[in-house]
Amino acid sequence: MAIKLEATYSKKLGLPNFSSHCYVVSLSTELTDLSQVEAESRRLYALLQHTVDKELEEVGYIPDLHSPAQNGNGHARPVRTRTVRNGGATRTPASERPQPTHEAEPQHDWACSPKQRALILRIVSENKLDKDDVEAMARQLFGIGVKECDKMQASQIIEDLFEKVGQKPGGRNPWRQRA
Amino acid sequence: MIAPEPLATPARTEEDVLRYLRQTVSATRLTLFLQCRLKFYFRYVLQLEKPRSVALHVGGSVHAALKAWNKARWRKAPLTTKQLRSEFLSAWENEDHATVCWDGEEAKHRQMSWSLVETYLRETTMPADVPPDAVEVPIEADLSPLGLPKLIGVLDLVQAGTIVDYKTSATTPNPEKAAHLNEIQVSSYAVLYREATGKLETGTEIHTLVKLKTPKLVITPLPPVSGGQKARLFHLMESYLSGIDRQHWIPSPGLQCAVCEYFDECRLWQ
Repeated sequence: MAIKLEATYSKKLGLPNFSSHCYVVSLSTELTDLSQVEAESRRLYALLQHTVDKELEEVGYIPDLHSPAQNGNGHARPVRTRTVRNGGATRTPASERPQPTHEAEPQHDWACSPKQRALILRIVSENKLDKDDVEAMARQLFGIGVKECDKMQASQIIEDLFEKVGQKPGGRNPWRQRA
Repeated sequence: MIAPEPLATPARTEEDVLRYLRQTVSATRLTLFLQCRLKFYFRYVLQLEKPRSVALHVGGSVHAALKAWNKARWRKAPLTTKQLRSEFLSAWENEDHATVCWDGEEAKHRQMSWSLVETYLRETTMPADVPPDAVEVPIEADLSPLGLPKLIGVLDLVQAGTIVDYKTSATTPNPEKAAHLNEIQVSSYAVLYREATGKLETGTEIHTLVKLKTPKLVITPLPPVSGGQKARLFHLMESYLSGIDRQHWIPSPGLQCAVCEYFDECRLWQ
């Protein structure tokens, strides 16, 4: 009976300007005997470590420290992955590589964060508020609809909604900074 | 506004508290951690309760009045002086009022605080007819992709892309040192603003109300936060994180200890 041995080696290294890059190599092979496991594992570890280290020497793009538009909200370097199967190597195409986490949030048609959207809808629903009133509030404060509000504007609307329904915003989270 | 976070919290284990402290950080907490780790430990980990200081109560009440004033003008329903004073007094009599040690001088402090509000309205250069972008708004920035805690904070006022922070102080601020003395707070607010709006701030203004016999308003304008300042902030946050992990709660004896509320507890440390 064939024994399948899978080995993965991953390393993440810090780069200047709070960047980092990470590379993962996975390999799968077959053994004929359990007695081969220890030696084969040692060999694969050395092989994968060498491969990963060599690839990580190429640091690629690093955000410019002095440009305010770069790295301003913590975008991380995409994770590079390579899959090796029985000696055959294929590099994952750039279009298929994982994207920075900030851009991986679920898609919705609101400009604020999904959490803010959910909270606004929850306050409206739990307090039986009229959605048109909330829309009017956004238009009065910002001149745009609630769905177009950015995170700061949405946060302001949430604060105002809590005030409107008689809840002290500070009471939501006992750890929150005192206003 | 820089203010301590609430001390009264639900019963939690020390590990719960440390986990929370690792997950989020504010400018206030980061500043205190860098000033004295033992004081940080007393306030945020052990949560030793202390009476609210007069200065903090004054600052909180003035902030509340200015918040009401800004929100009213934003809604195009400006407050009369009487309405504003009512908002101020309501904030003054809040739930923390009873915990302040007044030494029989509450009336004097209350009058002085109201004078600060009046001074602000008289001397502010913020055009009242320009609507704010935000008033006392809590925002956060997820910095986990950088291996840093979530940054949280409350912006007092944002108007025409400028972040405004209100302060009350017993002494006149030195404009030349303002950028350095307020760097953690200013950089934090810039990071928060950029994360929440996707825009670069026009600048930051520190509006300091000075508690003199005749109060005055000192406005200190600062340029947008540079990449270098942002990097410094992130380095400090890294240091905060590793300090929490090490739980190295050591005192930092110095002149600042003269007014520290944990002086007695600190003397017992060894």
